[in-house]
Amino acid sequence: MNALQEFLSAREIWEVPLAASVVAGALLGALGVYVVLRRTVFVSAALTQLSTLGLVLALLAEERVHIETEHAWEQLVVAILFSVGGALVLGAFRSRRLPAEAGVGAAWVTASALVVLGASQLVHAAHDLGGMVFGNAVAVPASDLVVILAVAGICLLVHALFAKELAFASFDPETALALGMKVRLWDALLFGTIGLAIPVTARALGALPVFAFLTLPAAAALLARVRFRTAFAVAALIGVVAAGGGYVLSWLWEIPTGATMVAIAGVLMVPAAVSRSRG
Amino acid sequence: MSGALIALVGAAVGYGRRPLISGIDLAVAPGDFLAVVGPNGGGKTTLVRALLGALPLLAGQLLRPRPIRIGYVPQREHVDTIWPFTAGEVALLGRVPALGPWRRPGAADREAVRRAMARVGVDHVYGLPYGELSGGQRQRTLIARALAGEPELLVLDEPTSGMDPAAELATMDLLRDLHRDNALAIVMVSHRLEAVANYARSLAFVDKDKALFRMGALDLMLRPEALGALYGRPVAVRELEGRRLVYPTDGEDRR
Repeated sequence: MNALQEFLSAREIWEVPLAASVVAGALLGALGVYVVLRRTVFVSAALTQLSTLGLVLALLAEERVHIETEHAWEQLVVAILFSVGGALVLGAFRSRRLPAEAGVGAAWVTASALVVLGASQLVHAAHDLGGMVFGNAVAVPASDLVVILAVAGICLLVHALFAKELAFASFDPETALALGMKVRLWDALLFGTIGLAIPVTARALGALPVFAFLTLPAAAALLARVRFRTAFAVAALIGVVAAGGGYVLSWLWEIPTGATMVAIAGVLMVPAAVSRSRG
Repeated sequence: MSGALIALVGAAVGYGRRPLISGIDLAVAPGDFLAVVGPNGGGKTTLVRALLGALPLLAGQLLRPRPIRIGYVPQREHVDTIWPFTAGEVALLGRVPALGPWRRPGAADREAVRRAMARVGVDHVYGLPYGELSGGQRQRTLIARALAGEPELLVLDEPTSGMDPAAELATMDLLRDLHRDNALAIVMVSHRLEAVANYARSLAFVDKDKALFRMGALDLMLRPEALGALYGRPVAVRELEGRRLVYPTDGEDRR
């Protein structure tokens, strides 16, 4: 039996993780259009670290203070609170006294250090944390897929209903504000969806692929010179191809799943860059 | 202030708790053409943001006797050209505030955008990427976006900044035509008095470093004492072939 036949015959093992990866790839790819166009790529990196910090604190609370957080959903709620809170502070309500990248850098490096310190204090949950931080797309439970689908549905709904407000407030906040639009509210809604998507997809994919999917598919779509609305569909499609293709190839070649997904997303930028240079 | 579309009364504007300019009394009535003039960083944009309600006043009142439709044209350098919008899509954003949430732009909105783009002479770039337009075309697209909302008051922040003399003249001629043909009230920020001296009906001089705010009819504001208050040195105004020229002097050459 060759590797492909072996893969196909093990459908019950991979169908949920593959579906979770593909939905996560599409969701992050589409949200990445705003991340890239608003020049907030490193906000997503900082949010991934803040989300991980939330997980570490939840696990520490359980081990050290004996606060019950052993259920995955409780840990996820804490991670979401950290991520959405960080998204609002770094994205929507950021201080005008500091350059934006200073706040993002401070959040990223501080959260990273606290994750290392917190993880060093974990005894029983240290192994679990590895899977949560680096992802384990090979073994995603069905409950995680349901959560990812629910979050994807919420994000789709928000972005469909308020597409023009989110676009205007992001593209030209000065004019939107001058015309009476509540720019901070729309920013909060946008970054709220990004902050929500990061922790739930990071549980399935891991931090590196989440950061990559918020950047590379959108960058490829924009390099290909597609129009604004089309960019969301193209970026989502690239996310699907990279996540799905990466999952299958990593299985067939027995190589790390997350890194394979990121590599494919990176490779998919090449044709877009070539098409732009020819255009 | 009676009959004003919008007015500031005894206003102080600034950021945080620190007022940059105080004692501002400013009213814009239908058909006005007000140019807000002062040095770069002098507080002109701050004043206009306060007038639009985008910046809370530190003192005084912002009066808007009735809801009015406002069109706003930012400095074109403030509008990011990496966004993959066509010129038509950028102009369509001018319809968004009036639509409110939930509703999508329809045929009537697109028609209003077409009219606005044709009015300012950029209807031929409707489907072209905004980021690939020339500076002048981008400026006109932003003006079309403001007009697409069918405003009663058009506010422009440095619309001729960075333009060569011919493009500056063309833009100012366009604003004059819009003001004349549509009875549109215009408030325009400029750091170049000469650019507006042939078009505006009234002037406001603003310089936060001199704690200066002075407003009046064009002829009054072009008098030596008013110009001296703004520039801190003698400034002459001359007419040549029907156009006003404004230039600094050594003190001998006064109007």
